[in-house]
Amino acid sequence: MPFASAIRAIIVDDQLTSRALIRDGLQQLGIQDIEQAGDGEQGLKALLQKPAHLVISDLNMPKLDGLQFLQAVRAHPSTQKAAFIMLTGRGDRALIERAIKLGVNNYLVKPFTIPVLKGAIEAVFGKLK
Amino acid sequence: MTLHRSAQRTEETEELPQKVHIIQGQYHVSDQPSVVLMTLLGSCVAACIHDPLARVGGMNHFLLPGADRDTNTREAERYGVHLMELLVNGLLQRGARKDRLQAKLFGGARTLERLSDIGRQNSIFAERFLKTEGITYLGGSCGGESGRRLQFWPVSGRARQAMIAGKEVPIVVPPPAPHVDGDVEFF
Repeated sequence: MPFASAIRAIIVDDQLTSRALIRDGLQQLGIQDIEQAGDGEQGLKALLQKPAHLVISDLNMPKLDGLQFLQAVRAHPSTQKAAFIMLTGRGDRALIERAIKLGVNNYLVKPFTIPVLKGAIEAVFGKLK
Repeated sequence: MTLHRSAQRTEETEELPQKVHIIQGQYHVSDQPSVVLMTLLGSCVAACIHDPLARVGGMNHFLLPGADRDTNTREAERYGVHLMELLVNGLLQRGARKDRLQAKLFGGARTLERLSDIGRQNSIFAERFLKTEGITYLGGSCGGESGRRLQFWPVSGRARQAMIAGKEVPIVVPPPAPHVDGDVEFF
């Protein structure tokens, strides 16, 4: 049972407002060590500088999109073990299936509540303390 | 009936207009000159966003859930953020660039005196979203006590509204709350 406070997370989303909402949600769950990036390229750079246990990434982003970012994360030895949760809108079923093939750990359909966010994280890490 | 015309007017098509009605909880993006996006607004807000260079635009129509009740504002905002994000992403997928986006906001009326000012909360949220995301806000028409019939030409960015009498104002339907336990699939 992992301590939420021990989890290092990174939120990758091109919308500042979305990032702020997710950050608030993670903080409410006890995760305090949170980095942020505006696209996959920045996200990968940040992850290589400071590895994270949990990556929460949007699917639609400029430069490296969510799938390309996931592929890059899984390809790099220092980041490949990070838990990766993809954020998506309804109707992205085909993309989610591609993400599953690329090694995503879980996904969340927007908009979601904090209990749903918690459920998605716990499905990957086990129950949070 | 008051007629309001937004500042920007460019050429429009000679073709017969293709009317697309947007209801609460929906959004639509188009780069077709013949398309006119239409909606009826009471306390809901519609964001009309347009890229003048890519000549693509779109409209959404949202109401923050629980804005009329004593609920967690942050939670309520998730729904609005989602609809704004769908619209912006839809525009970017059609060739728009975020730094060129121009937005107009309409709606947010206080249509029922006995209710709290839901409309104002909706328009404040929308303005804050645009500011946070760095999207140029050209103005529009928010507040007041009358509903609005809105038309938006996505290619030119032109918007036109007509104020409507109280009895014509659409009934507010609370948007579906996000599922608490139903949307996540574990694998």
